[in-house]
Amino acid sequence: MKALVCFLLLLLLLLATLPSPTRSFEFPAREMADLIDQTCRLTPFYDLCISSLRSDPGSGAADVRGLARIMAGSVLASASRTLDRIQELLGQAPDPETERPLAYCAELYIPVVKYTLPQAIEALGKGQLGFAVYGLSDAGKEAQACEKNFSGLSWSPVTDVNEQVRDLVDVALAIIKILQRSF
Amino acid sequence: MQNSPSHTNAPYTLLPEDPSPARPPASSRRPVKVFAATAASVVFLTSLVMLIVNQSPETPTESDHPPRSDPLTSRATTSFSRDAGRLPTGVSQGVSAKSYPSVRDRLSYNWTNAMFAWQRTAFHFQPEKNWMNDPDGPLYYMGWYHLFYQYNPDSAVWGNITWGHAVSKDLIHWLYLPLAMVPDRWFDAGGVWTGSATLLPDGRIVILYTGDTDESIQVQNLAYPANLSDPLLIEWVKYPDNPVIVPPAGINPEEFRDPTTAWMGPDGTWRILVGSKVDGSGIALIYQTSNFTAFEAQPGLLHAVNGTGMWECVDFYPVSTNSSNGLETSVVGPGVKHVLKASLDDLKKDYYAIGTYDPVSDTWTPDDPEADVGMGLQVDYGRYYASKTFFDQNTGRRILWGWINETDTDYDDLAKGWASVQTIPRVVTFDNKTGSNILEWPVEEVESLRLNSTEFDDILVEAGSAVLLDIGMATQLDISVEFEIEGSDALEALEEPEAIIECATAQNRTTLGPFGLLVLADKSLSELTPIYFHIAKSTNGSLTTLFCADETRSSKALEVFKKVYGGPVAVLDDEKFTMRLLVDHSIIESFAQGGRTVITSRIYPTEAIYGAAKLFLFNNATGVNVTASLEIWQMNSAFIRPFPLEEM
Repeated sequence: MKALVCFLLLLLLLLATLPSPTRSFEFPAREMADLIDQTCRLTPFYDLCISSLRSDPGSGAADVRGLARIMAGSVLASASRTLDRIQELLGQAPDPETERPLAYCAELYIPVVKYTLPQAIEALGKGQLGFAVYGLSDAGKEAQACEKNFSGLSWSPVTDVNEQVRDLVDVALAIIKILQRSF
Repeated sequence: MQNSPSHTNAPYTLLPEDPSPARPPASSRRPVKVFAATAASVVFLTSLVMLIVNQSPETPTESDHPPRSDPLTSRATTSFSRDAGRLPTGVSQGVSAKSYPSVRDRLSYNWTNAMFAWQRTAFHFQPEKNWMNDPDGPLYYMGWYHLFYQYNPDSAVWGNITWGHAVSKDLIHWLYLPLAMVPDRWFDAGGVWTGSATLLPDGRIVILYTGDTDESIQVQNLAYPANLSDPLLIEWVKYPDNPVIVPPAGINPEEFRDPTTAWMGPDGTWRILVGSKVDGSGIALIYQTSNFTAFEAQPGLLHAVNGTGMWECVDFYPVSTNSSNGLETSVVGPGVKHVLKASLDDLKKDYYAIGTYDPVSDTWTPDDPEADVGMGLQVDYGRYYASKTFFDQNTGRRILWGWINETDTDYDDLAKGWASVQTIPRVVTFDNKTGSNILEWPVEEVESLRLNSTEFDDILVEAGSAVLLDIGMATQLDISVEFEIEGSDALEALEEPEAIIECATAQNRTTLGPFGLLVLADKSLSELTPIYFHIAKSTNGSLTTLFCADETRSSKALEVFKKVYGGPVAVLDDEKFTMRLLVDHSIIESFAQGGRTVITSRIYPTEAIYGAAKLFLFNNATGVNVTASLEIWQMNSAFIRPFPLEEM
């Protein structure tokens, strides 16, 4: 019994002295051109990340903070398109079963597009990462709440756009995590 | 439990006639015996690891697992000297009493840290520590709901009052911000007291608040955001030429406070109200302005009611009589009535009445003069004060905040380090089924906290019995219940008439009740809080339903102020008896008949805490059985915390 305890104690002390599993990033100057690639590899949706970032003309010269802002801008663009789509569908006078959850979705997306995401983008510019994370996460939650409200239907007329908003949010949050870890 | 079939697996228990005699505290749990030496060493070594890798100490968990060690061994400690005969805090400074010290301070219960920690709410707004009172200047701006509140940054009793500040996107998940205003000018050196916000059509925000000057005179001051493009409205500017309103002749300078949100009159200028008192009558003084810096006292009063005493926290707002939408504060016209509300300093209760506002004469007349402000309906029949509404232009709702004080003592509050909670914000609408009251209902955003639910259908609760509801933890709940009385018609004649129709303790048995729920009750019912309906027959034969909360047996602690709260509630012919309860540790908000009558309760059990707190149905009637159907949700924490404002 005593020997067992001693052994486990030693094992534990050994484990405790191992370095903690954090990552540190170094981007050697000669690999700057691949920054987008390296950044996107650390996000849950690589292809979506690459296509969103590369479609922005400023992304080639941007640092990680700049990429985060570009991605947050993509989230806003996607949310705006979602809101436009919702309002378009509402304009087509759908049946009550679809109209109610659509109207609810519109109510969720309007403050997201009008306030939450623009404020998150501005916060990124000022280095207020916590504020930005809060806003982006909120946008993702509203997209999820919108989708959930179509209960009973296995899909909704806005499933694809809601999903894109959420995926882009996840990518943006992952990029911000890189920023948070490097300080 | 996800929608489990209706069943209860606890035996029926008879309600005790008298409270059970106090039992000795539960003995400490024996340490769990382990039979493998390896397991014991792993436990030991895990704690060693936690020391080595230097994890930060866990904050008190909101998940309510019972403490492993004996809760009675870790006692709360405090050091401060009590002096007998002190005034309630606040009175000497000229505001209403904010606490009830009693000579029974000496008999304060031996609270442990675990008991105190349990009292913190999981999803109601409260600061991390210290004293809070009136909600101030609530508003919605650029995607954020703002709440300001009377706050003492230095102590858990009233004093040194500042404006605390918090924001939320959904009225539920609040984030603390830095203090908005502190008493740093001569015109508010005695305290930055209660005030309201007005959103102007051009996008500006103005706040009017009462400042207690360095000579204890109550004046009204103007403040506005330093930077309207900051959505968090962190910095505030006080108008350099404050005060903008001083007490007029004939008004006691210590009875002149709490300016309202402004509304626009037909002439395009703004009006606000300030509450006061003349010859024992509570009054609402009117001030007119076009620019919020120069105000003109109006010759008349909006309204006055004899014998109601000082009117604090006056609130005045329109409600739609033909829709459930909220109305912006300046709206007048057909299909609109106005609610006038006052917090009565003498009684520490919030009263309101519905009436008609004449914008030309600037007067308001109650629909029922016998139920005028201070004489009829209460906003909330429980421990509730200083309520204030605002128009949420984001969702088109009229939203009500209310301050919930403690009912334990100053001594307890200083020991535990905090005092007071805000209610969950409520939507206010006109009840067009009765036509004579408002309805208050928790904002639907609170439902985002719902976790799993349990349903019970048609449970029979026989006369004189209680039924334990098997739901697991019973300290963070959203409960919806409806009751039906079986065979009441023939028995109506048997009901004994009562001379005074008011809530009495739940032990007062009559033919038709009381029946309801026992909340925060331990298994042996040594501590319990009945929330219930009591059907009373008046001497003229008519039946009145009362909705009541009986705190008299809620806690074994002697110094806690415990009484029966409640009021009448209309139950229409086609309606069952319905209740909704939000249970959140030391606060319970109870809504009857969709919010026609509301009671907020503060409860400080010594035994019915953590896993020992249970939920029962009960029926203390002598002559009828009751069936109940319930849906009960476990509620998540709102994780109210500081705003993540860190910069690089």
